Amino acid sequence: MGSPERPRRVLVIDDEEQIRRALRSILTSRHYEVASADTGEAGLEAAIDRRPDLVVLDLSLPGMSGLDVCRELRAWSSVPILVLSVRDDDQDKIAALDLGADDYLTKPFSAGELLARIRALLRRAVVGDAGPQVVTIGGLMVDLARRVVTVDGGEVRLTRTEFDILAVLSRNADRVVTSRMLLETVWGPEYSSDLVTLRAHVSHLRRKIEPSGGVPRYVLTEPGVGFRLVAGD
Amino acid sequence: MKWSRLTRVGSGYPFAVASVAVATAVLLPLRGLLASDQMTLLYIPVIGLVARLAGTGPSAAGAIAAFFAVFFFFVPPYDTLRVAAPRDWLTLLVFVGVALISGRQTALMRQRERLATLRERDLALLNRLSSRLVSAESASELAAFVASEVVDVLGAARCAVFATGAAGAVLLADRGVDAAGVGEQALADWVVRNDKAVGLGDVDSLPVDERPIGVGPAEAVDGVIADGIYLPLQVSEGLEGVLYARPLAGHMVFPAHKMRLLVAAGNLTAAFLERVHLVQRAAGAAALRETDRLKSTLISSVSHELKTPLAAVTARITGLLEQDSLTDTRRVRDELEAVEADLGRLDEAIGDLLDLSRLEGDAWRPRPDVYGLAEILGSAIARIPGDQRARVSFDVPDGLPGVLVDFGQLARAFYSLIENALAYSPAGTPVSVSARTLGADVIVCVEDEGPGVSDDEKGKVFGKFYRGVAASLVPSGTGLGLAIAREIVRGNGGRIWVEDVRPHGARFAVSFPDSDATGA
Repeated sequence: MGSPERPRRVLVIDDEEQIRRALRSILTSRHYEVASADTGEAGLEAAIDRRPDLVVLDLSLPGMSGLDVCRELRAWSSVPILVLSVRDDDQDKIAALDLGADDYLTKPFSAGELLARIRALLRRAVVGDAGPQVVTIGGLMVDLARRVVTVDGGEVRLTRTEFDILAVLSRNADRVVTSRMLLETVWGPEYSSDLVTLRAHVSHLRRKIEPSGGVPRYVLTEPGVGFRLVAGD
Repeated sequence: MKWSRLTRVGSGYPFAVASVAVATAVLLPLRGLLASDQMTLLYIPVIGLVARLAGTGPSAAGAIAAFFAVFFFFVPPYDTLRVAAPRDWLTLLVFVGVALISGRQTALMRQRERLATLRERDLALLNRLSSRLVSAESASELAAFVASEVVDVLGAARCAVFATGAAGAVLLADRGVDAAGVGEQALADWVVRNDKAVGLGDVDSLPVDERPIGVGPAEAVDGVIADGIYLPLQVSEGLEGVLYARPLAGHMVFPAHKMRLLVAAGNLTAAFLERVHLVQRAAGAAALRETDRLKSTLISSVSHELKTPLAAVTARITGLLEQDSLTDTRRVRDELEAVEADLGRLDEAIGDLLDLSRLEGDAWRPRPDVYGLAEILGSAIARIPGDQRARVSFDVPDGLPGVLVDFGQLARAFYSLIENALAYSPAGTPVSVSARTLGADVIVCVEDEGPGVSDDEKGKVFGKFYRGVAASLVPSGTGLGLAIAREIVRGNGGRIWVEDVRPHGARFAVSFPDSDATGA
C-alpha cells in the first residue's frame, strides 16, 4: 500500500472509548489521520468541521441514533460511510444501507477486515461516482457501456436482467449492495420486495459467470442483506 | 375366600355343627350297609373340611358333634346313646381321638399356608421395591411406584410420599383416593420437623429397634387427627422424607404384617432418596472438578496463544531498538513485515477465542434461513488468502437442495475446515470440497492429501486447543478451528465427523437434513 500524498482523514463515531482507541491506533499505524466523536451530534459537527474522507459510524449510539446520523449526513454529503453493527442487528444494518451507508462491518471484526473495507471504500471515492466504464475482477470483465461480459477471455451471453444485476454489482464492486437497491435499480421501485425473483436471477447469473465447481467466487451472498461482487485480493 | 371370613365373625362353631348334621343326614341311608367303625372313617374328611375352613376350635367342636352323631345313629342299638358291644366303645374313642388330632393338624397346616402366602406377597412387594431402587431414574418415579404398591398390595385407601424440602415436606407422589386428608400437609411438615411418626399402627411384632417412635393421631398438630400413619423416612444422616398411608374406610389401623411392610417400604424409599442425594452431590463435585480442569486448560492455552505472537513481536522490536542506527532499511522492513504477520496471528487468535466463547456461552445463536451450500462455500473461500485459494477445488452440483442454517456461522465453519485441510497437508497438494445428497441429508466433504487423522486422534481433533500430531508442519493455528466448526454444526442441527481417505488424507464431513425434507 503506497502512502497517499495527503493522509486520508477518517472520522470515527462511537460511544465506546475502547473501540475509539483501538480504531485510532489501527488507523494511525496505517497512516490515516483520525478524528473521533462519542455522540451522534458531536459526530455531525466533526463531519462539518473536519471534512473527513470516510466515516466509521457505530449504529448503537446513545441519544441521536446511528441511523439518524446516517440520514442527516446523507442530506448534504456523499462521504463514504462504513457502519459498525452487532451480530443480531440485521434490521438496523439494512436500514442504514438503505439510508445511504456504503458498507457495514459486524462486531467483532478483525483489523484486517476493517482495513480492507476502508481501502475499498476510499478507492471508489477516488474514482468518483461516475465510475469506470470497464470493470475487471480477476478473470471477469464487465464492459458497462458496450454491455459485454467475458470470463477468462471468453464472452458470456447474459439476459438483459442478468446483465443489469451484474452492472449494479460492478459499479459497486467490493461493496455490499442491498437486495432492495438491486430490485429498485433493475426492476423499479414497485418490485422492491420480490426476493425470490432476485435470488433466481442471481443464481442464473452465477451459473454463467462463476468458475466451474458451482461455488461462487465473484458474486457473494451477504446473508439477510444482499450481495457483494468481490475483486479478490 | 368368602369362607375364610367365618373365623373372624365367630360363626365357625355353628358351621362345624351344621356340617356334621348335613353329613349325618347324607350317611343315614347307608346305616345298614356299613359297620359303625367304617362309618366313623367317613366323618374324618368332614372334620378336615371344617378345620380347613374354620380353624382349630370349630374342628374340635365338629369332632365332638360327630362323636355323638355316630354314638346315637350308627352304633347299635341305633337311635340310642347305648352300646351293645363293648368293642364299639373302643371304636368311638379312637374315632374322637383321630378326629381331634387330624382337625388340629389340618387347621395348623392351613394357618401356615396362609402365612406363607402372605409372606410370599410381602417378599414379592419388597423385591419389586428393591429392584426399582436400582432401576428408578428419579425420586418422583420411585415415590409414585411405592405409593401405588402400597395402595394395591397393602390395600391402603391412600398413600403419599413426601421428600424433605427446605420449608417442610414436599409431595413427591400420591396414589389412591384423592382429596388429601385434612391436614395431610401439616402433619407431614410436623414429621419432617420432629422426626417422629404420627398415627396408630400395630408395631408389636416389629423388632424393637425398627419400631417407629411416634405420637398418637391427635397429638401432633392441634385440631388435626391423623387418619392414617405418617412414617419418617430416616437415614443415617437425618430425614429424607415422610411416607403416609391411610387404611381403608372402616379400619382404624394397619394390622401387624402390613405395618411391617410399610416400615420396610419406608426404609427402602429412604435408602433410595439418600442415594439420589449422594449421587447428586458426587456429580456436583465431579462437575466442579471438571470445570476447574477445563478452566486451567483454557487459561494456559489462551495465554499460550496470545503470548507466543506477542513474544515474537517484542523480540523483533527489541532487536531493532538495540541497534545503534536503523540504516539498514531493508532489514527494518523485513522485521516490520514479520511483526505484521505476528500481529495478524494475534488478531486471528483473539477472533477464534471470541467466536468460541460466544458459541459456548450461547451469545451467538444461529438464525437459520434456507440457503444453497454453494453460496455459503463461496463466502467461506473468499476469506482464504488468495495464494492458498488456488489449491482448493469445488464440486458442488446444480440443483442441490437448500439447507436451513445460519449463513454466517456455516461460512465460518467451512472456512475452518478448509483452512485446516490446507494447513495439515503439504504445500501445493489439492484440497477438494464437494457436496452431494445422501438419502434425506446433504453432505459436504473437505478432503486433503495430508497424513490423515489416526483412529486414535479422531475423537480428539474436535477438542479445544487440540493440535494434531502433524502440528509441527503448521506454523500458526490456534487449535480452535475444528472446535468452532463442531459447535456451529451441532448448533445448526447437523453432524460432523472425520474419516480416512485412501491412500492417505483426511475427509471432514458435515451433514444437514435437506430443508425440503424437513418441511422448512
